[in-house]
Amino acid sequence: MTLAQTDSSISEATDVPVRASRKPVVPWFLIAPALVIVLVFFGLPTLQMARMSFNLHVDQRLYVPGFTFEHYRTLFTNPLFSKAIWTTVQLALVASFFSVAIGYTFAILAWLKPARWRLLFVGLALCPLLISEIAIIFGWWMFFPKNGLLSQALLSAGLITDKFSLMYTEFAAFVGLVYVTLPYAFFILLSVLDGIDEQILESSADLGAPPLVTFREVLFPLTRTGLLVAFSQSFIWAMGTYATPSALGPDTLWTMGFLIQEQMLGKHNWPLASAFSMLLVIGVAAAMLLTRSLMSKRSAFHV
Amino acid sequence: MAMDSGLALEVDRVRRCYGAVVAVDNVSLTVRRGEFVTLLGPSGSGKTTTLRLIGGFEEIQSGSIRINGERIDQQPPYNRDTATIFQSGALFPHKTVAENVAYGLRMRKVPKHEIDERVAKVLETVRLRGFEDRYPGQLSGGQKQRVALARSLVVRPAVLLFDEPLSALDLSLRLQLRAEIKRLHDELGFSAIYVTHDQSEAMAMSSRVAVMNRGRIEQIDKPERVFHDPANEFVYNFIGESCCMPLRVTSGITADKQGRAVDIRLGKGLADGDWRVYVRPNRVKIGGSAANSPNTLKAELHFVEFLGDVFRYHLRAGALEIFADHPGRIAKGLGDEVEIGWGSEDMKVFQ
Amino acid sequence: MSEINLARQATLQQRLEPRVLRVLSWAFTGFLVLYILIPVLITLVMSFNNAAMIRFPITDWSVRWYADFFGSTQWMDALINSIVIALGTTAISTTAGILAAWAFERYQIPFRTFWYMLIMMPLFMPGVVLGLGVAIAFGGVQLGSYSFYGSRELVMIAHSLWAMPLVFMLMEATFRTVDYRVVEASYDLGGRPIGSFFEIVVPMVSTGIISSALFAFVISLNEFVMALFLTDRDTQTLPVLMWLSLRSAGTPRLAVASVILALTVFVCMSVIMLWYARQLRKVAR
Repeated sequence: MTLAQTDSSISEATDVPVRASRKPVVPWFLIAPALVIVLVFFGLPTLQMARMSFNLHVDQRLYVPGFTFEHYRTLFTNPLFSKAIWTTVQLALVASFFSVAIGYTFAILAWLKPARWRLLFVGLALCPLLISEIAIIFGWWMFFPKNGLLSQALLSAGLITDKFSLMYTEFAAFVGLVYVTLPYAFFILLSVLDGIDEQILESSADLGAPPLVTFREVLFPLTRTGLLVAFSQSFIWAMGTYATPSALGPDTLWTMGFLIQEQMLGKHNWPLASAFSMLLVIGVAAAMLLTRSLMSKRSAFHV
Repeated sequence: MAMDSGLALEVDRVRRCYGAVVAVDNVSLTVRRGEFVTLLGPSGSGKTTTLRLIGGFEEIQSGSIRINGERIDQQPPYNRDTATIFQSGALFPHKTVAENVAYGLRMRKVPKHEIDERVAKVLETVRLRGFEDRYPGQLSGGQKQRVALARSLVVRPAVLLFDEPLSALDLSLRLQLRAEIKRLHDELGFSAIYVTHDQSEAMAMSSRVAVMNRGRIEQIDKPERVFHDPANEFVYNFIGESCCMPLRVTSGITADKQGRAVDIRLGKGLADGDWRVYVRPNRVKIGGSAANSPNTLKAELHFVEFLGDVFRYHLRAGALEIFADHPGRIAKGLGDEVEIGWGSEDMKVFQ
Repeated sequence: MSEINLARQATLQQRLEPRVLRVLSWAFTGFLVLYILIPVLITLVMSFNNAAMIRFPITDWSVRWYADFFGSTQWMDALINSIVIALGTTAISTTAGILAAWAFERYQIPFRTFWYMLIMMPLFMPGVVLGLGVAIAFGGVQLGSYSFYGSRELVMIAHSLWAMPLVFMLMEATFRTVDYRVVEASYDLGGRPIGSFFEIVVPMVSTGIISSALFAFVISLNEFVMALFLTDRDTQTLPVLMWLSLRSAGTPRLAVASVILALTVFVCMSVIMLWYARQLRKVAR
């Protein structure tokens, strides 16, 4: 699904020597459409965005050509924005921690259970992936409020006496965010576990180790890098997902994504929105590179 | 451009490197029409690469390749009149047996009715009538290789290229298919290059055998000649089982590498220097009559293996370790001294 | 501690632990099933609510909101936009992704890792960043009377920034499973590269192609952040419309829209599963 597989694809198949191409232009023809998409619609816009982030913003106009570091300074000095950056990072960290923890347990169960169960678990994990984020938001939006399912269910079960609302709380934002990132963590970790021979668990048990010891001594060390990869993937997704926290969380929960949209569509301040985006791009690229270096260490260990 | 020389294939001083590794080093070889030439060598000796160069799956870096006198080394595989039988069979998994076999003919734009005719005939030849509509996934390993063979035979290429086609099969099937390929060659008279690391395969099928090592052809000759008259130590060592005795002769005294004297008597004396003496373990006599052989060695019995049809006696003499095969038990215990002997024609000496 | 003691302790632990773990694993499974299914089921149930308000308990059931959805030109247009854009994205990203993956798998490419990272990069970028970038770069661009901004085509390409790398990645993995000797066998028998690609390679990886196309379709169908930045009133997709109406007021119509969106995905998947089952039967006949 994600970075976890990109690693091995770089290494070339060794059994068949890659055929020396008679016409070295052929591969470029084949890659051209993909490169055009990436360069024209991602590379070029990113460069323009980088340029835009230095433009001036005066008199409610979208932007005025110029050169200033003002927007970057604003990001870090204006408490509103710097708090948003901090909130985003914090939320993403905690959400990824939980999604990796849940995803790990989930993946181990799916890995250990017989094939029938496994299919069911995979199907379950596909749900958040195949359903639109907006539909998920709406689902939780009906669950948490005062007249929502949660409050109603607890009331009719007699567990509470007054209706209550968890809507527009950080907890709700959090539940939504973990829901969105969970499948990524799950599938990465499942693919890591699938690379492990299940018989090593049996041999560990055979040598006298009870399950928890086996986990600590065998399974955990083997999946440690996988956990880091899953974490960084969840983190990247959580950083960029802004609709869920902004729709489910409190009005004061401002994330970077939300502020980009706000500056772009609401305040029409393109330079500031661009500066924010550049910060996100750099953050994501850094997380990606970090993950890659982690993975190359892992593959060195395996070879 | 060339006169018909009767040669199906001419490979002339062909070379191919991968980085610093020379996979094929100035290999020259010819195949006469109807000839079955085997490239025999250990893994990594460049035999498969040579075959892939001929088939056009790799590019040569120098030299030339001609098929029926016409130079084709710059042509892509689909313009070369060769057909390869791959180790895995490499059948098209989504096509039926008949579709697989017809593929090459379709690519050559052979008319439909002729395709049907030729496919039916070739499937008859490889004894696969009635399997036309099966998919490769429904065939056994041996059947798959027959389809691969049929698929290549049907296009009647100038040269058939076999890339270890039997190595993935189990022993009895291997022997059966080996005999079948031999029969087909006798019947149809195709020209072929056959790559293998199995010497019995090479011996049984070939008109000529080329022994390859480190990207070079060490010897190319009739199978009997390669076996009985090896060009060098590598060929001798590679063909047939042998054991090696490294010896050092100083002022007429024969010793092992550590300088301990060895009680060895050779019919033809060795001059001073380092030697490697090879014997064929199945030609070594042990016990009784051994002492009368032109060459003898006294050694200590180390241990015995039972191999089914023979016992294998492992012997030590100083630092020398050799073994001898003998059908019966000998009246000696472990650690006893035994005398072995062999004829001069069963021995090779290299300096 | 003596060895015997150690052994006894281990057996006690060994007897107790599996049971505790089993109970825990069941509890966890239950929690997970609830967690994942709550928003799904709640939406399904709510879509049959007769009332105009989102409120539990539901007292009156009807399909009136479905009728309302299919009767509304605004919502139907949005649905059609979504499907058209998703189909376009699928076409663009599968074509580009498959070709690039084949090149990466079969040819030597200088600076391979660099190009690989470049192609994969957009997949990891937040939608809001991609949307903003494309909007800034192409917002004002016009070709004659055709304006990029607000066009479905621009959204298709923007969605391809996520879908294409995904197809590329999945197809690279799929191509790696192909026994390349089979392709060589085709060349060897006289098949030309383009013909062999379509006649030999494509059928061998059809499952990979279909599933990556499905992923591309689903990504585009569900995406709404980039679409929010790039569409206008006429090209609005269903998720964008849902997002905008959720911000104003939630009604069961939104639940219906969610169900329809999910159904579209579900129907596509079922069709593909059926096709796949038929393929399997054909080969294993």
